[in-house]
Amino acid sequence: MRDVRGDSVKRQLAADHSINIDSVRSIVGFLIDSEITSEEVSTRVDDVFADPIIEESATDSLHLDNPTLFSESPDITVTIGFKAGVTDNPGKAALDGFRTIFPEAGEDARVSTYITYVFQGVPNEVDADWLSKQLHNGLIERALYSTNGEKSPEIEYIPVAAIEYTPPATIDLEISDEDLIKLSEEGLLALNLEEMQTIQAHYRDPEVRASRAAVGLPENAPTDVELECLAQTWSEHCKHKIFAAHIHHVDTETGEDTEIDSLFKTHIMNPTLEMKDEVDWLLSVFHDNSGVIAWDDEWSICMKAETHNSPSALDPYGGAMTGIVGVNRDILGTGLGARPIANTDVFCFGPPDWEGDLPDNLFHPSRVLRGVHAGVRVGGNESGIPTVNGAIVFDDRYIGKPLVYCGTIGMMPRRLADGRESHEKNPQPGDRVYMVGGRVGYDGIHGATFSSLELTEESPSSAVQIGDPITQKKMVDMILEARDDGLITCITDNGAGGLSSSIGEMAEYTNGCKIDLGKVPLKQSGLSSWEILVSESQERMTVAVRESDVPAFEKLANLHEVEATWVADFTNTGQFHVVHDDDTVASLPIEFLHDGVPQLRLESEWVKPVNTPFTPPSVSSHTPLLMRMLSRPNIASKETWVRQYDHEVIAQTALKPFVGVERDGPGDAGLLAPIHGSTKGLVVSNGISPRYSDIDAGAMAAAAVDEAVRNAVCTGVDLSKVAGLDNFCWPDPIESKKTPDGRFKLAQLVRANRELERICRAYFVPCISGKDSMKNDYGSGENKISIPPTLLFSLFGDHPDVRYTTTSDLKPGESLYLVGESKQELGASEISFMLKESGEADGIGGEVPQLPNPEKNLGAYKALTKTIQSGIVRTAHDCSEGGVAVAIAEMCIGGRCGAAIDVDGPGDADLWGRLWGESLGRIMVGVKQNNRAEFLSMMKGHSLTYMGETIDSDTLSIWDGDDLVIEAPVEDMVSAWKGSLDMTGGEQ
Amino acid sequence: MVETPKVAVLFGFGINCDRETAAVFELAGATSERVHVNHFVNGDRDLSEFHILAVPGGFSFGDHLGSGRLLGNRMRFAMREQLSAFVAAGKPIIGICNGFQVLVKTGLLPGKEVPDFEQRASLTLNNSGRYEDRWVTLEFDPESPCIWTKGITRIECPVRHGEGRFVMPSTVDLDSLDSNNQIVTRYVDPSTEPGKGITDETLPFPICPNGSIRSIAGICDPTGLVFGLMPHPEAAYATFLHPHHTRNEVSEEILAEGMQIFRNAVEYAQANL
Repeated sequence: MRDVRGDSVKRQLAADHSINIDSVRSIVGFLIDSEITSEEVSTRVDDVFADPIIEESATDSLHLDNPTLFSESPDITVTIGFKAGVTDNPGKAALDGFRTIFPEAGEDARVSTYITYVFQGVPNEVDADWLSKQLHNGLIERALYSTNGEKSPEIEYIPVAAIEYTPPATIDLEISDEDLIKLSEEGLLALNLEEMQTIQAHYRDPEVRASRAAVGLPENAPTDVELECLAQTWSEHCKHKIFAAHIHHVDTETGEDTEIDSLFKTHIMNPTLEMKDEVDWLLSVFHDNSGVIAWDDEWSICMKAETHNSPSALDPYGGAMTGIVGVNRDILGTGLGARPIANTDVFCFGPPDWEGDLPDNLFHPSRVLRGVHAGVRVGGNESGIPTVNGAIVFDDRYIGKPLVYCGTIGMMPRRLADGRESHEKNPQPGDRVYMVGGRVGYDGIHGATFSSLELTEESPSSAVQIGDPITQKKMVDMILEARDDGLITCITDNGAGGLSSSIGEMAEYTNGCKIDLGKVPLKQSGLSSWEILVSESQERMTVAVRESDVPAFEKLANLHEVEATWVADFTNTGQFHVVHDDDTVASLPIEFLHDGVPQLRLESEWVKPVNTPFTPPSVSSHTPLLMRMLSRPNIASKETWVRQYDHEVIAQTALKPFVGVERDGPGDAGLLAPIHGSTKGLVVSNGISPRYSDIDAGAMAAAAVDEAVRNAVCTGVDLSKVAGLDNFCWPDPIESKKTPDGRFKLAQLVRANRELERICRAYFVPCISGKDSMKNDYGSGENKISIPPTLLFSLFGDHPDVRYTTTSDLKPGESLYLVGESKQELGASEISFMLKESGEADGIGGEVPQLPNPEKNLGAYKALTKTIQSGIVRTAHDCSEGGVAVAIAEMCIGGRCGAAIDVDGPGDADLWGRLWGESLGRIMVGVKQNNRAEFLSMMKGHSLTYMGETIDSDTLSIWDGDDLVIEAPVEDMVSAWKGSLDMTGGEQ
Repeated sequence: MVETPKVAVLFGFGINCDRETAAVFELAGATSERVHVNHFVNGDRDLSEFHILAVPGGFSFGDHLGSGRLLGNRMRFAMREQLSAFVAAGKPIIGICNGFQVLVKTGLLPGKEVPDFEQRASLTLNNSGRYEDRWVTLEFDPESPCIWTKGITRIECPVRHGEGRFVMPSTVDLDSLDSNNQIVTRYVDPSTEPGKGITDETLPFPICPNGSIRSIAGICDPTGLVFGLMPHPEAAYATFLHPHHTRNEVSEEILAEGMQIFRNAVEYAQANL
């Protein structure tokens, strides 16, 4: 039998490190601690642990010692197991299977898993220690290795070290300002001086003191439970303090000097609320876990995107997995519970072929890519949620902090059987609050505050968790049944800040709650009160249930084998009241908890950045440039990676990520028909263009919105009903010793917000639930790496009939048109970066793509969607990185079809601008001859240029008037486009 | 004679194609109900209430310890009598993807006339080492006793699995499966003429996406009532789900070739139960 696990390791070492090993074999092991004897286990081992058809099994002996299995002694063996306390999903499943066979295994039975890789024929220069490091992450796993035939060390079961329970402490805040800061820093509270002082002042208030005495709390000082709870609730992660800040903004270019009271309110919330007054389909915006819009009379849809950057930097696999299953819970926690129906993912990484230095504790970008991809793959696939759209963007600066954006779309019936509208929560005082799903452990303590700090070498491993999609899937199944049975009055996710945030936020509805930490089920005993309250252990929802529904709710939890524990009650006392068994450990006024955080005051100053202009070299032909561009990681096919996502589960995906004759051309957007038997559709798309920030972050934001809209337009979306999500990832924009350029970074944020508002208003795309992550830096001083300011704009909306849509692949016999205009906009373009990196150009500066007149673009977009909806256009592809040249090349690849186009046309752009420029608002369209007249009449009055025709040969020819500037065989373009990010290590 | 057969579509523990599987049976003229596995395990529901059983795709128990094994064990040990009675009553069972893996690991496939719940084959890691979602072309043995595939020559539908390589311990086992016409469906080269694509070779990736012996995609039990396959015909229920639909004319009829498998079972139940 072939050992595929071993082979995969062998191929990966070849792909990433050019190391060729003769053979790699794998042995999967289980460490069992139970009441059952080894003899008993050995008789049933093939019923649970091994597959009798394809595997060899043994109990209490090592396969490596069996000469029939391993005749030669190996060069190297590496055995990897999880560290104590780290989620071991296979171990958990094995225990479940073990109990099916041995119900008498005992309460405390445990199973943990490990894997041993056996290497033969290892090149001499490969060091065993180095090899083991490539195969495991020391933050969460342990590895043992042997070399040169010495006996492979046996891995032992390590019990989780007992933690001693520490009773709640009182924290003295009557200390100097300096000590307040020290307290915040050393305790990982991530609160600034003014915030610490605000807390200090709270405990000086005579009324507060009196009420504290009444419940038996220290009068003059917070308990550690209260301080931790405030730190979580007031974290940048939860309160978005930078977006809520008062900003003094100066523009040295224009002389502007203004005050801005909250970027969020000014540029995101107010525009959306104004749009809400004009339409009836914006059902719920901003206040819930995701924004909800009406889809039809029976169904509503919602969407949320989150980032999980810091955890993904430390443990790419676990960090990304918790990212995707975490955002799924935002959907489940929307209204009375929506069903996740599709995922999107957008990643920003360092270049996978990076050969430069790596700062300490950072993984190579190829390893980050593999790990993040695997985490999202497992998280999405095992949850049964299709990944329908996404992107991978590469830039050197993401080596310091990868960005992992995970988005989810949800769907729910507009009304439940009992008549309640499902997008509204309606808890009452007296309702019981259940914690549902996983248990609380030491993992995930301080995630919210940790993500609000920059990454350093000392970043704590407890901030990393591994998701458990199956535990979550069981919970999702159970909760959706509970919703349909009318058993839920309120539901939210346990994410950042744990129970403190989830119950705390829900308690705003009734104005109070009382939590008993003694009831909370724990993964391990000994957790202190504050740890239980703020732990972010995964796979948990908080659900409120009327007392009369308790038996039905608990019965449902039993059926699904989901743990549901009554941990709190809603009250109307105005207090966030926490007891641990008999003792009160925290009592905070709900109002202070949620609205007490002082507004930040920040300084912003825009100074136009100076970039060396991009001056194109002189070339005799553009064909070699096209081949190089097609293999650029930012443009090249990501098929190897994307095919590993299930993009079709639920049987609703009407546009696949790869399209065309060989199903390998690029898709522009996701299109779903979520109701089986119906053709009504739902579109999802994304836009992201971080490098434009090098010239102007405002242009970067405008480009992101336009790209998302363009992609959706290509599907034939109904532009009268689309909504957007703004996800900002920024480097720290607060001026400080660590961040001397904070004013500039904040000015970039101001400009991005202004453009976001302007374009969203023009396109009528309300932003309904955004998110921001504001500390995307690594290290400090000279070695500091800050990401380019990045906005991901996600869009979702209606589609009248999924049968009437387009794909990017050319179909034979089409005439080709360009919607929109090419301008001389090569600044920060992909070609400028390529030629600068190779030394053929000096810089990337110049005009960055702008959107001076979005209304005009919208007119063309609307006309184009009508032609698609009427069925006369079946081919469209948006022009983004690499401009017209790359767009038409990709269309030829998808169609396995030649084309001849002429880029000479209106406008004053030169040849470089018309071939490679990335002007916004442009879509390439293919129209069959017999539909030309109707198409032209429907597009009348909009910017449209005839470009050329498909041809009956296998070559793409691009002319500039009479000059042939590109001539490329389709198969050559296919190889260039598909080769560079394959990374599979060759032979299957 | 039953006019509208009732279909039990299992769900729970990580099964995730239950909704679309239930939907396609409804579109084929049956009524279907998603039933949590534990309802049958606990005995508060009984399989005998239903005419057809579907074990859908998904990741039951996360595929840990091998795909389908843990759910297979629950069924093997806790639903044994109900399953035996269901098969004895001549009622059809289908397992798709993870459901196929489950049926193989319970021993219902390739199985015996009277189920003995012994595992005789396995589905293991794809040769590529990767989970993949891609469309494949399937061809069907016209001589097969399988009631699910009558009259079907060739269809296209997606595979979405990481463990789909069908293996049996020996060539003798495979030959006997073949001579009983239990090798219902195989991956074929789409460039071959329909009806002439079947071969005993393991076709290259990606035509045979997983390296299955003899390019096997699905098998049935000796009675032809129990059928399992790795690809997802339910995901090809509609014209607009085909990756090439924008290359074709728009048709009024939205139901597509994947439906025939489900229609066959519904018609079988209507005629025989």
